[in-house]
Amino acid sequence: MTDPNRKKLLIVITKAPYGSSSAQEALDVVLAAGTFDQDVSLLISADACYQLLPSQQPEVIQGKNTYKMLKALPIFGIENIYVDDNEALHRGINLEITTLPVQFINQSAIADLYQQADTVLRF
Amino acid sequence: MSISVLVLGAPFEHQASYTAYRYVQAALELGQSVHRVFFYQAGVHSASQLACPPRDEFDLYHAWQALKSEHDLDLVVCIAAAARRGLIDPGEAKRHNKAAFNLAKEFELSGLGQLIEAISQSERLITFGE
Repeated sequence: MTDPNRKKLLIVITKAPYGSSSAQEALDVVLAAGTFDQDVSLLISADACYQLLPSQQPEVIQGKNTYKMLKALPIFGIENIYVDDNEALHRGINLEITTLPVQFINQSAIADLYQQADTVLRF
Repeated sequence: MSISVLVLGAPFEHQASYTAYRYVQAALELGQSVHRVFFYQAGVHSASQLACPPRDEFDLYHAWQALKSEHDLDLVVCIAAAARRGLIDPGEAKRHNKAAFNLAKEFELSGLGQLIEAISQSERLITFGE
């Protein structure tokens, strides 16, 4: 039986890592939603695509590694991780570059994600 | 209809907190039920009791506090986001061994679980951000 209070939650992240705290605090919300057993989809778009780049060394600038946070998401029950393929390709990022368990999706699939969501959070 | 509101932008710096205040006020006047207002990211600064806007400017900090007193709103501030930005209540001041606290008594510090709960219990979540 499905819980009526279990919402389909779409979290859209748009910010590059480290330049602002937004990337880190947005992923904290994703983790919390997973921990509280919500049906979460994560869409990585705009400058957030830079979070997919491997070999990040944020420790040099005392930053928290958001790549490691992304990698840990499946452990917290977040299996649906999508990348806006158009936005990623504009930034020279493609499926080969990342080892993260993500799916690159096109504009019409993104429209479907929004359509199916009960709530959308955008960071 | 039950509504929850998420505030992400800092007051004064940004319009988000002010627009959220006007939105919540309008919703309450129309008899709508506001389940919770959750303050996250720079939005947590709305809960400071030490801000002193000039007398000829609108006091948004006091306005949120007054709205709470009039309507018994649930005003929740993310405890981690607040602590990072130097916004703490007496309990946190003691825990972190700090000399003072600055969270207005109308606000409550709690975890992100309160945001997720608000999403699951409300028909709509309205975000006011940048």
